[in-house]
Amino acid sequence: MNLDNFGMDTITLAGPLEAKLKAVREAGFTQIMLNATDIVGHPGGEAAAVAAVRSSGLRVTGFQVLRDFEGLSGTLHAYKVDVAKGMLEMCHALGSTVLLACSTVSPHSTHDFSLIKKDLQKLAMLAVPLNIRIAYEALSWGRHVNLFPQSWEIVAEADRANLGLCLDSFHILAHGTELDLLADIDPLKVFLVQLSDFLWQETRSAEERIETARHSRVFPGEGVHSEKVIELVRALDEMGYRGDYSFEVFNDDYRQLPLPVVAQRARASVKWITGRVARRSLPARRQA
Amino acid sequence: MTARAERLPEPSNPLGIDGIEFVEYATSQAQAFGAVLQKMGFAPVARHRSREVTLYRQGSMNLIVNSDSPSGKNEPDKTPTLAAIALRVRDAGQAFQHSLDLGAWEMPTRAAAMELHIPGIHGVGDSLIYFVDRYRDFAIYDVDFVFDSNAKPDPPALAGLHWFGLVQAILPDRTADWLDFYRTLFGFQVLPRGKYFGVLPKGTLLESPCRKFYLQLIEPPAGAEEMRWNEGLVRVGLGAPDVPKAVKALQQRGVVFVDHGAVQPSDKGALTQVYLGGATFELVVSHL
Repeated sequence: MNLDNFGMDTITLAGPLEAKLKAVREAGFTQIMLNATDIVGHPGGEAAAVAAVRSSGLRVTGFQVLRDFEGLSGTLHAYKVDVAKGMLEMCHALGSTVLLACSTVSPHSTHDFSLIKKDLQKLAMLAVPLNIRIAYEALSWGRHVNLFPQSWEIVAEADRANLGLCLDSFHILAHGTELDLLADIDPLKVFLVQLSDFLWQETRSAEERIETARHSRVFPGEGVHSEKVIELVRALDEMGYRGDYSFEVFNDDYRQLPLPVVAQRARASVKWITGRVARRSLPARRQA
Repeated sequence: MTARAERLPEPSNPLGIDGIEFVEYATSQAQAFGAVLQKMGFAPVARHRSREVTLYRQGSMNLIVNSDSPSGKNEPDKTPTLAAIALRVRDAGQAFQHSLDLGAWEMPTRAAAMELHIPGIHGVGDSLIYFVDRYRDFAIYDVDFVFDSNAKPDPPALAGLHWFGLVQAILPDRTADWLDFYRTLFGFQVLPRGKYFGVLPKGTLLESPCRKFYLQLIEPPAGAEEMRWNEGLVRVGLGAPDVPKAVKALQQRGVVFVDHGAVQPSDKGALTQVYLGGATFELVVSHL
């Protein structure tokens, strides 16, 4: 495990897209997770944003985020299909092969897992010609799917090659989901892992989880659950996950600090993780 | 409604696919490519009423050469590329809707006044998949094309040539994605590994639900990292009951076959040279 396995996310940084790309690259990262607002909010337009990304030399970890897609019907479903197509086209233009789709929070959505599965199969089909994989993430405040074992159940049943999971440490920690349950997951179906921590022990309600998730996350090694993050990374590593780790750190303070300062904190976090995961695995190798 | 339209779809062939209605090439070199096609035994029989489109025929095969420049778009590449395949289906409207419901991308309609609307979806790369249900009592060409009064409308096939299938290039590790696409949308079946036809036994072979044609999916060969390899339809396969006889007949018309390395004309099949920078034709022994 080394620096190339980790990437930053543009949502952590303030400023224009070009400044974010530069700061991330100069901190030594080789990849970056992009948000649709980076592209559509670019003053030069979409094409300029795509050109900036393509000339940055950074690999695109993935593109986010498609929200509230599954479980709708009629006009709402048709509307969301159009939104999804727009997101997929942008994702493709950026050279990204992963689109992040979060479990729905919509009160208009059904809790029927078979219909949720059907919609995700449709999303996966839309993504096939564009060479995009759908990473489905259980938001900890998701209306029907809010735990990774649920998202895994649906993804496994949907049985589509380009439909897999995004695992986000925040949502797993916020719910206190048992990491033993990871053993049920096929590591090849984990398309993305997002890492972050936060600074207090508990999030007691969905509202508190949302508030913390959107404003007060920190890099692994900076918060109070960092040992758990390490356990998660180690578990994933041992089960055979070899994909990307992206720092999904929404933090209001980091959005008012100079970009190189924040990028260096991310860099320090990589060192913290790789140092600990490597050290911890040594005794196991000696025993073997 | 006719009895045919009321028939319910069969689970193994949900769209009632019944073979290939036509294959369409796009090229700006319509005349030069037409000369190649005539060597291959095709004869020009009709021209489109409003566009630079010619219909070639040979036996049961319809082949369309399109050098039209859709408004706002550049003219097609010089190199003839496989732009579309039209599938014969039980009910084109139903096939189209069924595909969209499962996550296919609708292609923009281009029909002008007095022209047939042929529904279609996006296929691999820039190619399209059309659905045609008028192939029994009268043909789509009767509406949109003007037949050459000096040409036979149904020229016979040379050496029993007929559609055998299409070869599709795909990116590395994309076989499973495209299997999902063809199985889910159309009901194609994967042939067991090791079952191949012709002289280029590689990739994954899919059989149409009507068992009248095949698709071959080919990932780049190992060690081809530097090769330029895009996804798209790369060539057609023509079936011949007696390949050496067909090769001889075509050679007499000036067709050149590859006869070095692993690819040699044989009882099983043969491959023509590359014409106009990209078009090749494969012969495969077949009694379809």
